Amino acid sequence: MSYLSISKVTKQFGDTVVVDDFNLDIEKGEFVSFLGPSGCGKTTTLRMVAGFEIPTSGKILLDGADITDKAPNQRNVGMIFQSYALFPNMTVAQNIGFGLRVRKESEDMVKQRVEEMVTLINLEKHANKYPYQLSGGQQQRVSLARALAIHPQVLLLDEPLSALDAKIRISLRSEIRAIQKKLGITAIFVTHDQEEALSISDRIVVMNTGVMEQVGTPFEIYNFPKTRFVANFVGSLNTSDAEVLDPAKGLVSMDGVQFEAAEGTDARKKGDKVKIAIRPERLSFASEQKKANVMDASIENITFLGSVVRIQVKIGKTKFNMDTFNNPFLELPKIGSVEQVTCSREAVLVLDE
Amino acid sequence: MSASSSAKANQLSSRFIYVFVSLYFLIPLGATFYWSLRGAKDVLGFEAYRKLFADTNFLPAFSQSIVNAVATILLSLLIVVPTAYWVTLRLPKLRPVVEFITLLPFVIPAIVLVFGIIRLYSRPPLLLTSTYDSSRVLLICVYVALSFPYMFRAVDNGLRAIDVRTLTEAAQSLGANWGTILFKVIFPNLRVALLSGALLTFAIVIGELTIALYMAQHTLGPYMADLTRSKVYEPSAMAIVAFAITWAAMGIIDFVGRGATRSKTKVAID
Amino acid sequence: MKPNTNSKSVNLTVGGALRPPRIPIGRWLGVLPFFVFSGLFLIAPTLVLAYRSLEGPDGGLTIGNYLLLTSETVVSSYGMSIRISLTTAILGGLIGFLIAWVVSMGGLPPRFRLITTTFSGVASNFAGVPLASAYVFTLGRVGVITALFKLVGFDLYRTAGFSLYSFLGLTIVYLYFQIPLMVLTILPALDGLKHEWREAAENLGATPFQYWRDVAFPVLTPSILGTMILLFGNSFGAHATAYALTGGLFNLATLLIGQQISGDVLHNPGLGYAVAMGMVIIMALSIFIYSILQRRSERWLR
Repeated sequence: MSYLSISKVTKQFGDTVVVDDFNLDIEKGEFVSFLGPSGCGKTTTLRMVAGFEIPTSGKILLDGADITDKAPNQRNVGMIFQSYALFPNMTVAQNIGFGLRVRKESEDMVKQRVEEMVTLINLEKHANKYPYQLSGGQQQRVSLARALAIHPQVLLLDEPLSALDAKIRISLRSEIRAIQKKLGITAIFVTHDQEEALSISDRIVVMNTGVMEQVGTPFEIYNFPKTRFVANFVGSLNTSDAEVLDPAKGLVSMDGVQFEAAEGTDARKKGDKVKIAIRPERLSFASEQKKANVMDASIENITFLGSVVRIQVKIGKTKFNMDTFNNPFLELPKIGSVEQVTCSREAVLVLDE
Repeated sequence: MSASSSAKANQLSSRFIYVFVSLYFLIPLGATFYWSLRGAKDVLGFEAYRKLFADTNFLPAFSQSIVNAVATILLSLLIVVPTAYWVTLRLPKLRPVVEFITLLPFVIPAIVLVFGIIRLYSRPPLLLTSTYDSSRVLLICVYVALSFPYMFRAVDNGLRAIDVRTLTEAAQSLGANWGTILFKVIFPNLRVALLSGALLTFAIVIGELTIALYMAQHTLGPYMADLTRSKVYEPSAMAIVAFAITWAAMGIIDFVGRGATRSKTKVAID
Repeated sequence: MKPNTNSKSVNLTVGGALRPPRIPIGRWLGVLPFFVFSGLFLIAPTLVLAYRSLEGPDGGLTIGNYLLLTSETVVSSYGMSIRISLTTAILGGLIGFLIAWVVSMGGLPPRFRLITTTFSGVASNFAGVPLASAYVFTLGRVGVITALFKLVGFDLYRTAGFSLYSFLGLTIVYLYFQIPLMVLTILPALDGLKHEWREAAENLGATPFQYWRDVAFPVLTPSILGTMILLFGNSFGAHATAYALTGGLFNLATLLIGQQISGDVLHNPGLGYAVAMGMVIIMALSIFIYSILQRRSERWLR
């Protein structure tokens, strides 16, 4: 049986449905991200697990126990807030020890546990400092330690990195993941940043306006998006209108140019209007290696992005972005010339209109 | 206790406390209003108000106070706005000094201040209290100084809200001189802040008693004090009128202030 | 004022090193009136009082007048002022805090907050003659509430010995502007309590009581204390209301000064000035402590 089970959970505010039929089973020790744009319901769902919102319908079970209606201070979950929420009148050590003191643990126990936690987050020298004396990244680490000190069954992180600088965001997210792995604690991580979700999650739940769009590993979500929203939201994508030519063979036609797709046409009929989507990095020059699909493309524009070179090509009537790794010794084609570009059958995603 | 029932208990005790304390504030007002309606014997009417406005001493006192208030506001604006502007942009080191000065009206209560004013200005060489009118000018000057805390705070907040530094730099890069900047760029955008400062000053000056009394000025404050000693019902009507005027002034400040926060990002150039 | 389009002096820096080294006089013109007015009408009068308070009967400088502050008249009026100010500061602080709490996080509809803040602005300006006469009509000898009490057989003035013109009476009246001052000053501090703190505390297992005891109140204490001290000063320096209520004949520090202005009731001008300066010293102390506590609370409630 799964460790944390969220089943058929719906949340309504008046007439507005903010979370619609959310179903997820999380294993112990799993790191799951809720990914989506603002207002998609990811934070609301997290807060229902924490107990700050009560589901309109549905159940939440933690390790077999029904916690759906339990008060937030009766659950054993640890929450990290976007704004750190450290108690300003307490030192780092006092903040971390707060939950334990509330549970009336002995002072010795508290001291020992606080020391453990402070070492875990590498802030031994700052244990007696006040929050206003710490940087944003340090404060968030204290917040993490404070939540972990009480041995929570689940760790809930509500966009913990959004308020931090880009560099800190990257280093802190790996730190969080490392600590989570080390302690083997189950975690739910809410974010709108797809790179964050992709880099540290075991599984990702992509949400949009209260609905679960797709659940899967980062690999699955990125490479095999099931809906147009997921394909668009996670990573960048070239899209274009097309028409189904031969469902059995997976042939579609875009502006007269034929593409062969590996899947996505089985349930369709000839003449169906669809959208095809191709990731920029899946297109390459045919001169390097020919794959299943070969098309003529005129070079429109070349943008140097550092490690990636983005070449804008026109296939048929549509402009596509083609990303290739920067190779200083590779000669790039001239703007205006026509080259052959290629992609595999699997690279062509067929999505609904 | 579950979350919802403790919230309900919260609400209940909140309402109870609020009602209880509101009574403390509303009863004196109610009593005063009730009294003000008893101007004529055994009849509830507005006789007291009529007598009040008919009193030969009322209108002169009232108009003197109004004129004093307006003069104070204009003078104060003319002094405080450039000061706040310069301190923000060019003389930031003076800010602590200026803010200290705005604390002075609190540190030096009115009764002490008037004591010193009289001592200083009623003897030569600084004899300013020899005539009623010269005393009046002195009074207005004192009111201006007393309005500094409110005016400065209002203008300072206003300047902060409109990012005065950037506006000034933009205007300068377009070739404007200081006069243009002050009157065509800064003042118009501070309208709300100036209004709230002005209204606060108005409320303070209009009913001021302590200083006007000891400087023998016939303004509304001393008039009202006389009234309480000489008449029975008119003082209540006076109190209600004073309350209504103050309520109107505060209401305007709040109303205008709400509109301002909505349009904080909109900035006008007249 | 000369229009100044010289790009060098137009370059502004924030409170740091300023170039050019020579500051053109035009810049000072803008702030000059402010300092002139403050100097002439705030600072100079006070300095005069200070100087005169140090003047002995023969014209030399002495602190003898300050030593005379222990004389009976002065002590009793100062004592009364301190009593009333302490009482109204504490009571006004507690009640004001309660109302501010109720209106910001007590679960009332939001319009109550606006009504309360507007009314608080009005009530704190209502002080002086209107307030005094309003209370005469309420709790005076023939006031409405007094009459109501008489109806149920309870004579406020005769049986209970109550008088509006007493410590208790003045306290009740002063609260009318003390409570609103507390409400207006403490509301921003209450707003500064982040709701995430409460959620974090709950999440860690704390009850609402524990949250208030361990987080909210400690964080608010500097603000509350500081504002109470502000209230103390406000009451101590109040004159108009007491004058309007008692005709200036009550035993209060501000009224004593008023009497001294009208006629030398202390029979010692130097002492009169010392009494006035004594008040300034107390007010200065109170605002000094208030600003220290303010700074401390700002650090936490940023």
